[in-house]
Amino acid sequence: MKKETVALHVAFVAATMLLPLILTSYGLKLTSEVLIIAMFVMSLGLIIGFAGLVSLGHAAFFGIGAYTVALISEHVDNTWLLLIAAVVTAGIVAFLSGLMFIRSSGAYFLMITLAFGQMLYAIAYKMEGVTGGADGKAVSESFNLGFGAIESRLAFYYVAAAAFLACYYLLRVFLSSPLGKGVRGIKENESRMTALGYNTHLYKLTVYSLSGMMAGFAGALYAYFNQYISPDLLHWMFSGQALIMVIVGGVGTLLGPAIGAGFFVILQNYISSYTERWPIIMGLLFVCLVLYGRGGVIHLASLVWSHLQSKRRTGREKSVLPKEGSGFESLKG
Amino acid sequence: MSLLKVERVHKSYNGLQVLKNVSLDVQAGERHVLIGPNGAGKTTLFHCMTGTLPIDEGVVTVNGRQISGLPPYTAVRVGMARTFQKNNLFDNLTVEENLHLAIAACKPYRFHFFKPFYKYTDLLEEAEQLLKQWDLWERRACVVNQLSYGEQRLLELLLALASKPRLLLLDEPTSGMSPAETAQTTRLMQSMPRSITLLVIEHDMDVVFSIADRITVLHHGEVFLSGAPEEIRGDERVKEIYFGGGAPLYAEA
Repeated sequence: MKKETVALHVAFVAATMLLPLILTSYGLKLTSEVLIIAMFVMSLGLIIGFAGLVSLGHAAFFGIGAYTVALISEHVDNTWLLLIAAVVTAGIVAFLSGLMFIRSSGAYFLMITLAFGQMLYAIAYKMEGVTGGADGKAVSESFNLGFGAIESRLAFYYVAAAAFLACYYLLRVFLSSPLGKGVRGIKENESRMTALGYNTHLYKLTVYSLSGMMAGFAGALYAYFNQYISPDLLHWMFSGQALIMVIVGGVGTLLGPAIGAGFFVILQNYISSYTERWPIIMGLLFVCLVLYGRGGVIHLASLVWSHLQSKRRTGREKSVLPKEGSGFESLKG
Repeated sequence: MSLLKVERVHKSYNGLQVLKNVSLDVQAGERHVLIGPNGAGKTTLFHCMTGTLPIDEGVVTVNGRQISGLPPYTAVRVGMARTFQKNNLFDNLTVEENLHLAIAACKPYRFHFFKPFYKYTDLLEEAEQLLKQWDLWERRACVVNQLSYGEQRLLELLLALASKPRLLLLDEPTSGMSPAETAQTTRLMQSMPRSITLLVIEHDMDVVFSIADRITVLHHGEVFLSGAPEEIRGDERVKEIYFGGGAPLYAEA
């Protein structure tokens, strides 16, 4: 890795860790939420941007993670066990449903995942005895990894930040591995991958399961964070919002969806404090972004970055063209 | 010893019979060329041999192992690789990345997910060697859709070779090439070691006769004739199939 790239990553981690210094208590809570949602959206961005599987039912796995924690925490209080249970359950459901869904693609995949998500929503809604139905369930168990209960907003921020960074770097490693490259190859040209000897179904199933596990993990953290869960977490509206976040942030990048999540959640919070009609403003903003900012927020940001870079450079080398693959680009993954 | 055996293969698309009782025997080391007018079923036969299309009846064996009925990605495992009539590449990846994917497909670590790609030095070295050998080393960092058509055609061949096949199926390797590129590709095919068996679909008769050990003529989904190049060259009926009589005149593009 280049020195510049290493420095950038150190700065990225440090910024995440030092952010609480400038945040208010409310800001801490909001940022924690952003980080958790960002993990979920990143998992969706993984299958959309790198495997070409556009799902409209990804909230199912987020919800499964959240419900697993909520339901089992009535009997077990070990946080580690609950987190693992959430990840494993989401992973198993993703694997089994993926076995059926992966055979379809494009609009068919979108529809079948939508139907699956809505089915889970209906189950959570109707099985009042177990899930609490429309009222949802309170999660009273505190988050405790063995170093004492984490109750303050600051402490939970660090939990979310550590989890987010871990997910981000795990995905980076995954995407640069032979398996990850294979997944990207399938998105590029599946028929050639088959001709080269790749079992493409197995690759897609693996990445879909991994994505489901990550969404489940984010859901589990969300249950702790929000201390309350409801069937809305499984609803297709939430899947759709996540899809918008991926597109607004930048499809085909790793950090893009996370930025999209931050953009969406913070904007929603900000605008809805002024007007009840916030969806109109959000909607108009997204229309503009899609029309003028192809590639999403991350693309715009990297354009600005390379513009600044080239300005800095012109003094020395007189090169005006923005150079791809430098600085900011490397974080996109 | 026969490396590839196709026995009594039938294939139809929605009632249209495309392959009728096709049998083919390719010896190890042979350069076997498949000719026939458009629509004769040559490419369909390739699809059926590699498992891309399921066959209705018949058996395909490579080196004694039956591969018909198995998923298409298993073809590479028995040493069979193919190229496509139309370039079928990873257009948005670089030449090098294309080749890396092709080489990794046959490595035991193709499913590993915890070590970055660039740390598998054997893979990088293999790619470098192939690229240098095939004069694409200078172009390694180019994205495929920036390459010339001829270079893309070459890469198409290179991707198939990356799996170190024993049997290489080439679907019109010179289609769309300039005369110079055609001559170069012909030389490449001639210079391939005999450890690689070639089965080639080709329309350019100069190319056909400069590489073929054996020629099989496919017509209306049936094997019309199979024999040594001299036999085929002298056969009046084959000329008729290509240039008139049995087949419509516009059959040959």
